Amino acid sequence: MGPLYKFGWFDFTYSLQLAVLIGFCFGLLLERAGFGNPRKLTAIFYLRDFAVLKVMFTAIVVCMLGMLYFSIFGWLDMGKVYLLPTYLWPQLVGGLALGVGFIMGGYCPTTSVVASVSGKLDGVVFLAGMVIGSLIFAELFPLLEGFYKAGDMGPVRLSDVFGIQSGIIALLVCVMAVLAFWVVEKVENRFGDPESLPAGGTRLKTFAAIALVVLGLILAIVNPDNSQVQKNIHQEDPDRPAAVAPVGKAAQPSEGFKIVDDEGC
Amino acid sequence: MDNIRYGNPYVVGTLLGLVLLFTFYSMGRGVGSSASFSRLGAASVAAVAPDHAKSNAYMAGYMGRGRPMLMDWLIFMSLGAALGGLFSAFVGKRIKGEVGRGPSIDVGPRLWLALGGGIVSGFAARLARGCTSGQALTGAPELAFGSWVFMFSIFAGAYAAAWFFRKEWL
Repeated sequence: MGPLYKFGWFDFTYSLQLAVLIGFCFGLLLERAGFGNPRKLTAIFYLRDFAVLKVMFTAIVVCMLGMLYFSIFGWLDMGKVYLLPTYLWPQLVGGLALGVGFIMGGYCPTTSVVASVSGKLDGVVFLAGMVIGSLIFAELFPLLEGFYKAGDMGPVRLSDVFGIQSGIIALLVCVMAVLAFWVVEKVENRFGDPESLPAGGTRLKTFAAIALVVLGLILAIVNPDNSQVQKNIHQEDPDRPAAVAPVGKAAQPSEGFKIVDDEGC
Repeated sequence: MDNIRYGNPYVVGTLLGLVLLFTFYSMGRGVGSSASFSRLGAASVAAVAPDHAKSNAYMAGYMGRGRPMLMDWLIFMSLGAALGGLFSAFVGKRIKGEVGRGPSIDVGPRLWLALGGGIVSGFAARLARGCTSGQALTGAPELAFGSWVFMFSIFAGAYAAAWFFRKEWL
């Protein structure tokens, strides 16, 4: 059962080696998508090429479905996966500013790494700028600390905020992704350069879209939140008292499980 | 733009989603990169002026974990990303010393804008506790509320500012 690291399958030193491997795949895919090229990246903001949105949303949907199904199958304990906490106001303002930095500099942080290694001088300059920007933040931190902690909602999911089951949220995300892909392809065909846009069979796309919605629908019916609850009920099943005791004991320390030095990005 | 050799975005996105899933499954956390540069900056300050770095609340947060400041999961991940990017660019024959820019901007102004964009992004990523990778690609699949707000804010900010930088890219 995952996450493997949290269940002690390997130590910190090995996790660093794994980090290099994960980073390698990550960088390779970003470069492969063309994200080492700032014109390709920023073309989305002039409605010409939505590769950024397609890659991001596809990755998010695939990973989201994977995690939810893994948790239903009992392969992944979502309680031990570090959930990013919500600080509403700094995230809102930081997001807006990061968007401005993106269109101004031509990159986001990871893509600038990929651009730098493929020989883009502006990517290297952007990286240097990021180090400077982070230092400015650190130096101003005493002044910013109040705002940095504003809107603290703790680690909440969309399902907690809107009071909807996460299975239904997942379905909505799938539907939203399919709609977004459909709309941006229409927009691309109108404003983009048809020569440079990726080809793709309509039949395959339709099949994939239906598959996504069906996978979302199954989640909405087999609610992952429910499966967690059912598991707890199952553990208290009086028919199998022998099995209950050790499971209960093992589950106890996981309640207070906290990761101190995990920080987003 | 030479798009021909670039991968299909849906295929790349699916593979990226699987990499993210593997990261969550193995590590119980997501990816990220901007913190590496923050750590790099903090480590440089600590090397030059250790007392100043220790007295700064934010930089001090990177210290005292019983290991060097750069001995961090995300730093190693960023190193891997650099290697992976290099490998893919090499295979795709895209390694070329140049400045990425639109046809109507000179190299000088473009580099200043890249520096400015980097500074804004570095600051913004610290404020929001993450960047496109550490917040959007990590928090969004977890359905974390703040990450979704953050992701839509990025698009809103960039679309709002796009008109002012059109000469840089078009």
